Amino acid sequence: MEGIIAAHEQLEKRGNLAKTIQDVQKTIDLLQNARDSVANDPDSAALTMAKLKQPVKQSFDKLDDDLKDVNKGLNQYSKALDKKFKKNALPTASTKPLAEQPDLINRAIVMHLLREGKFEVANTLVSQLNERARSGQDDGMEDRRPRPISNVGDAIKSWVQELAYPEAWEAEGGMEMGSPTGRERGWLQEKFTEMYHILDSLRNQHDLGPAIEWAKSHSRELEQRGSNLEFELGRLKFVELFTSEDVMSDDPWEGPTRALEYARTVFPNFSARYIRETSNLLGSLAFSANLEQSPYEAMFFNQSAWEEASASFTREFCGLLGLSEKSPLYTAVTAGGIALPVLEKVERVMAQTRGQWTSVNELPVETPLPTGFRFHSIFVCPVSKEQGTDANPPMMLPCGHALAKESLDAHARGKPRMKCPYCPVECAPKEAKRLFI
Amino acid sequence: MAEHSVSKMDPDSHLLLEQPLLRLPHELLKKNLKSAQRAIEPVNKNITSAIQSSTKQNPAETLASLDATLQKAQNLKRKLEALHTEEQALHSQQKARIQHLQTLHEIPSLGDVAYDRWAHVRLDRLLVDYLLRQGYTQSAKELAEENKLGDLVDVGVFEEAGRIEQALRKGEVKDALTWCGENKNALKKINSELELELRLQQFIELARSGDIDKLVDAIVHARKHLAGDQSSKFGLQAGGLMAYPPDTFVEPYQTLYSQERYPHLADLFVQTHHNLFSLPPTPLLHIALSAGLSALKTPACHSQHALSVTANTGAPVCPICSTELNELAKNVPYAHHTTSSMEDDPVVLPNGRVFGRERLQLLNEKLGTKKGWYRDPTKLGENDVEWEEGSIRKVFIS
Repeated sequence: MEGIIAAHEQLEKRGNLAKTIQDVQKTIDLLQNARDSVANDPDSAALTMAKLKQPVKQSFDKLDDDLKDVNKGLNQYSKALDKKFKKNALPTASTKPLAEQPDLINRAIVMHLLREGKFEVANTLVSQLNERARSGQDDGMEDRRPRPISNVGDAIKSWVQELAYPEAWEAEGGMEMGSPTGRERGWLQEKFTEMYHILDSLRNQHDLGPAIEWAKSHSRELEQRGSNLEFELGRLKFVELFTSEDVMSDDPWEGPTRALEYARTVFPNFSARYIRETSNLLGSLAFSANLEQSPYEAMFFNQSAWEEASASFTREFCGLLGLSEKSPLYTAVTAGGIALPVLEKVERVMAQTRGQWTSVNELPVETPLPTGFRFHSIFVCPVSKEQGTDANPPMMLPCGHALAKESLDAHARGKPRMKCPYCPVECAPKEAKRLFI
Repeated sequence: MAEHSVSKMDPDSHLLLEQPLLRLPHELLKKNLKSAQRAIEPVNKNITSAIQSSTKQNPAETLASLDATLQKAQNLKRKLEALHTEEQALHSQQKARIQHLQTLHEIPSLGDVAYDRWAHVRLDRLLVDYLLRQGYTQSAKELAEENKLGDLVDVGVFEEAGRIEQALRKGEVKDALTWCGENKNALKKINSELELELRLQQFIELARSGDIDKLVDAIVHARKHLAGDQSSKFGLQAGGLMAYPPDTFVEPYQTLYSQERYPHLADLFVQTHHNLFSLPPTPLLHIALSAGLSALKTPACHSQHALSVTANTGAPVCPICSTELNELAKNVPYAHHTTSSMEDDPVVLPNGRVFGRERLQLLNEKLGTKKGWYRDPTKLGENDVEWEEGSIRKVFIS
């Protein structure tokens, strides 16, 4: 990188046209002087012009030299670039499945933009996609990029419409956010607008209202997910009421009283599994005068409580939509950036040896990713070293050892009893049990 | 140990995708310099010959010719100044890009928040690149503006190329020819036949009319533009074409007369353009995304036994399983693994589902299952069975 930086500095300093322009100015001055002297003294015209020949030629030579300097700078920079970027070819062999499905990529991008809160850009893109889909149907001239499926236009339309018309959302009876433009917006956008609205209240204004409202209206789904969100928000509300001080009143019991009232109305709705926590919270009332030194100190003075609540809210909100917390497009592209060097090398070596990649379903090499990029458990059969799939699932023998079904069949060879490859226990192959990893 | 080596940052290999980022402004600078040369050359010749011939002139004529030369020199200066402004813009663009890549070199590990930020900028850049290539210029501009990508993306270059491409698709070759003129030398270097193809198209249009005057024009046109020594193919094709009417079924002339040639020319133009400016032929997003989809994909992502994405697994939703990418990832290969990677202390429920013991306990605690009993947290509501602790088996996966 240093080489490039240095070359670029050189380029900025010397490899530019500033000097050339100065020299053109000098030429102009030269001509101007000649013109003036011809105008003043017409008789000397021939002489002046004869004298002019040499300097003008020199000054154009100078211009050439100036350009050569610029060229030299550019060449040096070129060299620095070549030194830094040695490999030229990018691995492109595997991009075919993507190139054939532009509508799916576009959909992923629109969803990404929406979840990043870039509603305006998403809107523009959706309307441009709509326009393209329409004009693509009206006349074939507009877009002639390869289209493997004849009705791609329809495919685009269906999801664009899904994003553009919020029937699905209205059917669920969601909160109306009141859009200022009054124009119809996609249900996903509605959802994410709602999410950002709630998050903003939660994180920036420490206002629990909208979040609690949302959690309440999705109480059943959240319970199904085993989510604690509703309770967490309730607890935070309790703490907030407890510690808030009303300027208008100087009753020191104002806060705790209101917290108690809140607890009375809300806590009974929480499921039985929070009983210990709720009694804990109510116990704190006894220490209200001196919370800092009470056993409840940690519960009440948790600095990151709001951040935590925001994070778990985001997780649950996206989870209910069947979306991951972080943009999948971001995760995938970042993982791609990490895995790419390995794949590039594979493609290069393959090209050199004219090798063939034996399994089309699986990458030929490991592409190690940091732990944050692992989302599933992986089962690799200890015998065949193949990954468990639907066709070849992991099976557990009665002794608790697991191996792939094909390995198991090969090992049993149709006999009624077999020995576990890893321990002395014998069993019947049909006793093996399919595992779901 | 292994984890450490995985998350270690190797900026050089990481820059694989970033090459065009620095190459493009450099190519533009080279083009800029060529323009300067082209501006200076005729003025040089002109002025020198003007001075040369002045010896035979009377003073008044000399004065007039000097005025003319002065005018030319002034024009040259203005042109160069414009080029210089352009050059400075490119330099600062270059600087911003170098800076962007330099940031990456200062990040110690992939786990760093700074890497997260950098990767976000890169994603936005790749998205803008993709949108520009697909012709969604307005969206690309808005995205670039909202994320303040400014110097890191090439809106102008793609916009210009897109304009010429669209004109070609509509059947206009003029803009493309102008572009060829601007890049004559570079095109010659890569031995491009784009200009000849365009000239041939002009010839075809003249021949198509069938009008006698136009046919004569066509011959003149062919002599002027298609009879060069770069390739005899075009002259021969043009000659043959004259013998056949536009509604012929004879190949290759039927193809030559076909309106399908315009999209073909447009594709050829885009290809030549990207080649000339060191832009990869496929969008970078395709390359990064397909690598990423594969690296993340597991057989479980499209298994018929896959859990619903809203299932309560207590783990973050996998990006490949998420609605956005699931269908897209269907046709890419899954990642290769040589060892199992399971949670610690895996146990199996009587229904065959495997969990880490700790996670199973935690989820059941959250679900409020009574102590000593377990439910499958991913299968709630279906057939809510509870199992006693004794029926949970340890499974050995190596």
